[in-house]
Amino acid sequence: MRRIPASFAAPFAVLAVAAALAAPVQAADLDVSIREARSQSGQFQVALVDAAGYAGSAAPVAARLLSPAGAVTHVRFDGVPAGRYALMVIHDENGNGRLDTNLVGMPVEGYGFSNNPRVMRKPTFDEAAFDVGADALALDIAIR
Amino acid sequence: MDRRRFLRNLLSGATVVALGPALLHGADALAGDPAEFSAGLVDRPYLAGWRQVSANAFGPTTVQIEGRLPANFAGTLYRNGPAWFERDGFRYEHWFDGDGMVHGWRFGDGAVTHRGRMVQTPKFQREQRAGRFNTMAAGTTVPGQVAIRNNDDANTANTSVVTIGGRLFAMSEAGSAFELDPDALDTIGPVTWRPDLQALPFSANPLRDRDGSWWNFGALSMLGGSGLLLWHIGADASLIGAHVLEMDAPGYLHAFVQTDRHLVFLLMPYDFTPSGSFFESMRFAPQRACTVLVVEKAAPDRVARRFEVDFAMAYHFGDAFERAGEIVVRTVHHRDVEHARSPHRAAMSGHDGPAPAAQLAELRLDVHSGRARWDLLGVTGIEFPLFDARTPGDRSARLYMPTTEGETGAPYFNAVQMLDPASGRRDVHRYGRDILAEEHVFVPRPGSTRPDDGWLVGTVLDPTRNRSGIAVLDAQHIANGPLATAWLPYAFPLGFHGHFAQTGA
Repeated sequence: MRRIPASFAAPFAVLAVAAALAAPVQAADLDVSIREARSQSGQFQVALVDAAGYAGSAAPVAARLLSPAGAVTHVRFDGVPAGRYALMVIHDENGNGRLDTNLVGMPVEGYGFSNNPRVMRKPTFDEAAFDVGADALALDIAIR
Repeated sequence: MDRRRFLRNLLSGATVVALGPALLHGADALAGDPAEFSAGLVDRPYLAGWRQVSANAFGPTTVQIEGRLPANFAGTLYRNGPAWFERDGFRYEHWFDGDGMVHGWRFGDGAVTHRGRMVQTPKFQREQRAGRFNTMAAGTTVPGQVAIRNNDDANTANTSVVTIGGRLFAMSEAGSAFELDPDALDTIGPVTWRPDLQALPFSANPLRDRDGSWWNFGALSMLGGSGLLLWHIGADASLIGAHVLEMDAPGYLHAFVQTDRHLVFLLMPYDFTPSGSFFESMRFAPQRACTVLVVEKAAPDRVARRFEVDFAMAYHFGDAFERAGEIVVRTVHHRDVEHARSPHRAAMSGHDGPAPAAQLAELRLDVHSGRARWDLLGVTGIEFPLFDARTPGDRSARLYMPTTEGETGAPYFNAVQMLDPASGRRDVHRYGRDILAEEHVFVPRPGSTRPDDGWLVGTVLDPTRNRSGIAVLDAQHIANGPLATAWLPYAFPLGFHGHFAQTGA
């Protein structure tokens, strides 16, 4: 079995717990479209995070592993509690469970963030963040 | 070296000043104006040297050679340079931004066959499809930039070209070498020498060692990392080794130099304040000294010696040699920091500009005392010095380079010269008032081991007749003028660096 980094494995446990909780006061569904992947191989690792999760000091709110499905791959997060979040996507093209990087840590596989910030570094949380309220949201993420 | 810096930041949340810190500033773009450039071209035909290339491929075009080519002069001169400067009413402001075109000038049967092909980088292809520039550039802030994965998505492969083990590589400063078909010049793709070295810079002026292997570097500081990546590539183009050398502070460098035992890197100090593209954000810091790193070829994983020397800027080096505990390095020494930061900036926008205020200098490194100093040799109006690599490693080489002689119609070179710094002897051929002369590559005479026994092959641009050409001179009789010349029925912009792949040598 492929190794899954802890930061992506942990959310599944979190989700299982969250499913048992009572519905939050206010929540909305997210429909995420992932576009512009350079290949159909491997898997997308999609993490929905809050500021703490973005900073790596907390687990993601939710996470998904899924295969590319043509030009646009859809992934849905149901009942996301109101708040401020960001989405991070890694295209693990060779299926080795991680974002491959070179000697200086620059990605050589695809990745993307909500809002598609045009920076060649990790965007700040504010650059990638979006607000969830009561209404369903549709988000586009372009894989670079 | 902080190896996982980008990744850790990608996954953990801190930001890092990286290659394109001002990509969010697209609205502040300082677009050059193609119409203004065209207007300038009417009065100043020499601006053809910076004119948008008229096609993305030239040739194959065969033209007869005028004069007589030596029977054993055989091979292909490859050259590379920025050629695609304009799209959709937007013109780059910095010469280095233009997408690369590789040329092959093949000599055979009394004729020259020329091909020119745009290097089909992901950047070039993406922008061809989009019909506009949409990718971060080294010296111009481009509006509406797309997000890119890493530096190779912005790689222009536009600076130089080399053949190693029969394979042809186009190179630029901040990204991978791109491999091309040596005959058709079709692009094969970026080279990955080892999986963890993907997309790391393989800089544009690699040096061939006497054993046939090649040394090169990549400046990791340009990618937001630190250190200098040192490459050692075998004569068969396989990777011998790659090492990261520590740098005390960011230093800019374009090329380096070797002796028989050592590699020498001159690091020019700069301050980086994100305010646009890389060259818009960097300011050379003349108030600080340059650092010189000396690496022993026998121990390429560490810096053997460090020197400090008065500030100077140098893009291009000639020879270097070691004698009596001293390493002597020849280079073209610039004091005009703005010209060095953006050479021919005025020409890029269609205006007159100053000729480069550069002169030949010797950097003298005293290995025993650890002191370094500059000796300015008083030879001005030069660039792109080359020499015969067969010159023994304990003595100075003759330098061959374009220069300016007499009246000139352009703030560029119109002549080629041999200069022997040891004797002061100089031998010059002036192509003409309005001819632009580029780098001239030394080609050794096959079968001879005598240094400087060979030819120079160099390209020229005749803007008044709208044609590009090539000339071959006897390296020991330059003043006699070319042995052979060939002119194409078309012109393309000036390039930077070339490499002669000799047949049967």
